[in-house]
Amino acid sequence: MEELRSKNCAVEMYKIIKEFNDVKANDNVDFFVKNGSIHGLLGENGAGKTTLMNVLYGLYHPEQGEICIKGKKCEIPSPTKAISLGIGMVHQHFMLARPFTIVENVMLGRKSRKGFLLDTKETAEELVALANKYKMKIDPYAKIWQLSVGEQQRVEILTALYQGAEILILDEPTAVLTPQEVDGLFETLREMKNDGKAIILITHKLEEILSIVDEVTVLRDGVMIGHVEVDCNTTKSSLTKMMVGRDVLFNFDKSLVEAGAKKLVIKDLKVLNDKNFLALDGFSLDINEGEILGLAGVDGNGQKELCEALTGIRHVESGEVKLDNINIENKPPLFAIEKGIAHIPEDRHITGLALGWSLKKNLIIKTFKANSKFGLIDEKKIEDRWEKAKIAYQIKANSGDDWARDLSGGNQQKVILARELENNPAILIANQPTRGLDIGATEYVRQKILDAKSEGTSVLLVSADLEEILQLSDRIAVIYDGKLMGILPSGSDVKEIGELMMGKKMEVEHDA
Amino acid sequence: MRNKLTKNLNQLLLAIGTIILALLVGAVIISFSGNSPIEAYLSMFNGAFGSKQRFMEVLVKMIPLVIMALGTSVAFKANLWNIGADGQFIMGSIFAIFVTIYSGLPPIIGIPVSIIAAMIGGGLWAGLAGWIKVKFNANEVITTLMLNYIAVYFLSFLVYGPMMDPGGSKMPQTKLIPDAFRLPLFESGNRLHIGIFISLIIVVIMIFFWKSTLGFKIALLGQGEKVTTYSGVSVKKMIVFTMIISGLLSGIAGWTEIYGVQYRLLEGITSGYGSMAIVIALMGGLNPVGILISGFFFSALLVGGATMQRMTDIPFSIVDIVQGLIIIFIIARTAINFKEIKNRIVRRMEHVK
Ligand SMILES: Nc1ncnc2c1ncn2[C@@H]1O[C@H](COP(=O)(O)OP(=O)(O)OP(=O)(O)O)[C@@H](O)[C@H]1O
Ligand SMILES: [Mg+2]
Repeated sequence: MEELRSKNCAVEMYKIIKEFNDVKANDNVDFFVKNGSIHGLLGENGAGKTTLMNVLYGLYHPEQGEICIKGKKCEIPSPTKAISLGIGMVHQHFMLARPFTIVENVMLGRKSRKGFLLDTKETAEELVALANKYKMKIDPYAKIWQLSVGEQQRVEILTALYQGAEILILDEPTAVLTPQEVDGLFETLREMKNDGKAIILITHKLEEILSIVDEVTVLRDGVMIGHVEVDCNTTKSSLTKMMVGRDVLFNFDKSLVEAGAKKLVIKDLKVLNDKNFLALDGFSLDINEGEILGLAGVDGNGQKELCEALTGIRHVESGEVKLDNINIENKPPLFAIEKGIAHIPEDRHITGLALGWSLKKNLIIKTFKANSKFGLIDEKKIEDRWEKAKIAYQIKANSGDDWARDLSGGNQQKVILARELENNPAILIANQPTRGLDIGATEYVRQKILDAKSEGTSVLLVSADLEEILQLSDRIAVIYDGKLMGILPSGSDVKEIGELMMGKKMEVEHDA
Repeated sequence: MRNKLTKNLNQLLLAIGTIILALLVGAVIISFSGNSPIEAYLSMFNGAFGSKQRFMEVLVKMIPLVIMALGTSVAFKANLWNIGADGQFIMGSIFAIFVTIYSGLPPIIGIPVSIIAAMIGGGLWAGLAGWIKVKFNANEVITTLMLNYIAVYFLSFLVYGPMMDPGGSKMPQTKLIPDAFRLPLFESGNRLHIGIFISLIIVVIMIFFWKSTLGFKIALLGQGEKVTTYSGVSVKKMIVFTMIISGLLSGIAGWTEIYGVQYRLLEGITSGYGSMAIVIALMGGLNPVGILISGFFFSALLVGGATMQRMTDIPFSIVDIVQGLIIIFIIARTAINFKEIKNRIVRRMEHVK
């Protein structure tokens, strides 16, 4: 490893060990990032990527290891220290104070140059200049809550740059972005790279690694497996092999189904979002018996509200939803659960899991009645359930008593899946089921959805990932601005779907 | 399993550490006040455990405190900050004594009915705060506090007015309940009554309660309203329900105090039990056995402090100081625990993943 140690390195991490309880999340990891390069960090869910980056950013203290920044050995006990060393980190989400403007957020925790007065105007001008330099568009006086997820992320990057970041860590930044936003982000990153900054990019999407990354480090089970330069010899399958230790084949046996009877009929649905605007504006759609209906659309066009309306979580203003000819709109959530409507929510942390609870209890939050005896929760039964789920879904955890919040993102998703797919649901509403999952897990989840279909479950698959939609769907519906843009057959042209997603209207085949 | 054991052990060690720290800081304050901390603590200890009589007095105090703390813990577990245990205690007592004095039922029926009345009184009072929260989105901290005042003044009104003891003592209190209604004592000349078994039984019931589906739903509410709704549990119903159960227990606490110790309603009957119940609940980690242990500790502190004041020049306010310090340390424990903060930040950052 010595030969890697060079003046050219922005980050050198040696023999990092970080343990949680008895688990080594990082086991003797060496990690190097060159100046002026974009470095990919790859690995399956729970491989230890976030942990390693939290160590670098001073959030975790490693049990062992040495860190050099720009060739100088450093202790990084806190994020403040990391920032002063020129390290910036953009976590997935929501570190911003929502009622404030962009410029106020950037100014938080910084001394004003004007003493008691705020130097808002100067800061705003500097921000705009900085943003322009890196090809980002912002309005410094916009309030955070008005911004889309992508825009908020831009503010986070900008804040890091404004604090003088020379090394920027991005933990799965693209998971929440639309394809257009991803292009924009990458342009910014290239600009930063040309400026000599070092960028660490965590992602599960291999095409992104191939398109923008210079070098990649792969972690598996907390161990550094390899470190390669990305060139024309690098392929998705070579990366996958390093990461998973086997080939992952996205060749699903998708047997198209004949249009069965109508299972779920949605008619003229009007639903408000949290800000009391119409999120669904006269949305209609049918889902047939035993089919997978893919609902494509850019995030935030009413998908979340649709899923919540179908499961009774959100109030329906007008219109109707019929399951097997029974009206189910505005029924309590328990009604939908009892009718066998399973729901993988988009927001895994606040809605899908009780984070402060054990994994095994999380498996039964919807079925605690069935898992009890004489009114008492049947501990033995849920332990059994956990053991089964753990094996069936390959959930990586010490025990069923672990807290849900201590699991890596992908494994949390597996817990939700294990719960929702139990007992062959009549309908599965899957909102972004593979977001943030590694390719092995993604393959696995998609297979599970197909399995559910072959067991007779009708599936509404909501995804911003067209590849996923195309792979699994029997029919493809497109949503834009709360309205159905059209329904396309499986195997349709990506471009055509893309255009509908951007709001180009096509002839809607009513009641087709 | 081992995991759980270590977790409980950690909790216990942390609690003991908190107490020691509070006593140490308390010692500094005592010496500033010109007294000897060693003398103070010795006489406090002596005051609580120095004789069988005193020890029994500790148990007497423990009865209502533990039951109230259990009630408080039910709401806290659901993330509902019911700080109105005092008011619920008072309303429970009023309801109970009302049926005993005015119904003329024989003890055999009258005693069970009075317990039920106490549960209804306390439950309604807390349930009211829950209902207001659901209906008008009013914060339960404010409403339970307000309802405390109403209960206290209502009690004053009764004992100075319509329910005042006609016997002529002119004290703000009702007349005594008949002997047959009083909880039996262990030995005469000592105040310890069989209510101690009632509180132990309630501890056991609560252990099972948290394993029940109802306890499951209440604890789920504490994990967040979104995940509760998602799981098919009605948040609104659960809020009211949780508050009722929480208040009902404080009502029972009031009942034990009336039927076991005071035998009548009188002004100031709760004497600040409510705030102590909050500390006991938090210190006990909202866990029934933990609450039993911490309830015992605080009762000893109360009784010991009172004896200390009688025997020495050191004022009882030392007890208040120690209690206050413990509250501060419990709050600070979560705030100063940097690891916890960091974990929290990380969690927040990982929000969507
Ligand atoms: N605070 C914690 N307490 C206990 N265990 C933890 C904690 N944080 C992480 N772990 C464990 O450490 C391992 C590595 O987790 P980490 O979050 O670094 O994975 P990751 O590579 O970022 O995965 P993903 O792609 O799913 O985000 C996992 O097994 C996880 O359960
Ligand atoms: Mg991660």
